[in-house]
Amino acid sequence: MLLSSVILILREVLEAAVLVSVLLALSRSLGQGLRWVWWSLPLALVGSLWFASSMDTLTDALDGAGQEVANAALQVLVFVCTVVVVFIEGVWSPRLGLMMRLVMACAISLALIREGSEIWIYVSGFAAVPDLRAAVLTGSSMGAGIGISLGVLLYSSLRALPVAWQRPACLALLALIGAGMVMQASMLLEQVDWLEAGEALWDSAALVSEGSISGELLYAVFGYEATPSPVQGALYMASLVAMVTAYYSSRFLRKRLNEQ
Amino acid sequence: MTRLAGIILLLFWLPTAWGKTPVFEVEIRDHLFHPEEIHIPANTKVKLVLYNRDATPEEFESYELNREKVIMGGRKANIFIGPLEPGTYPFFGEFNPKTAQGRVVVE
Repeated sequence: MLLSSVILILREVLEAAVLVSVLLALSRSLGQGLRWVWWSLPLALVGSLWFASSMDTLTDALDGAGQEVANAALQVLVFVCTVVVVFIEGVWSPRLGLMMRLVMACAISLALIREGSEIWIYVSGFAAVPDLRAAVLTGSSMGAGIGISLGVLLYSSLRALPVAWQRPACLALLALIGAGMVMQASMLLEQVDWLEAGEALWDSAALVSEGSISGELLYAVFGYEATPSPVQGALYMASLVAMVTAYYSSRFLRKRLNEQ
Repeated sequence: MTRLAGIILLLFWLPTAWGKTPVFEVEIRDHLFHPEEIHIPANTKVKLVLYNRDATPEEFESYELNREKVIMGGRKANIFIGPLEPGTYPFFGEFNPKTAQGRVVVE
């Protein structure tokens, strides 16, 4: 139980930690500090507790599709936030600081609601069993600790890059994280038959298994799937196109505004 | 107007009447899947109905099937899978991965 708890919580924390680290690094390189991250915590805490406690009714809603639709909606909203972040970065001026911090805090809250609710469900479900309590609580703390450390490592690595590379590196990672979120959302909608699954585009499980450590890391950053469906693949590409469009259109707009 | 309503109703009813998706039931008891092995037809979409008979929550997870769903204690959950190529697709309970192991055999 100890090891299972470590792995489970590590997986959940890692997914959120990657997004948080990239946004914090981007915020620092735009001179926006880190304090805004506290804004997102109350919403994330209340949201994930509410989400976890209404999981029963949520699962049965929409003819049994409620859980997936709610999770997919959260992920798509995080994606929208990341597109907006990329856009604001493109037209950047310090006057947009508050707006940027708000959108970033929003992205983190939404991501934490999803990951946090699963942690609540697991920890509250199994810590209630007296024989398991110690193992679950210890394992979960260890998993969370490792996940957060990896996040700090990513943040420090991004900050250690040459200044000229920091913003492009953050944006590239953000684009991949966002597209990965959309792909996960489409998987959830296939799971409840809201999207047609179709046959897998390819099978790269022999190359990188999703259950391996590299597979888990790739999943956390790129939303890696060994056997993506055609819809997942198409939506992944569409999300990347949306990101690239936000990147170039914002730069174009900024150039035009500067010319005037 | 009534004709329009009729057509709309028919449009909603037709897919459910035509697309008879086969249903397979799986129970979770004492952190084990019953049955552990489910045989489903190849290249067909099927619906898995999972009943969690334990008091504790479980998360159905499969990397091979690209599926992941929390099933609260004493509840049930639907998961659509397929169309799939013939083969064996393992799944597990993420909250009890040591015991809760199963597989979908597509043939």
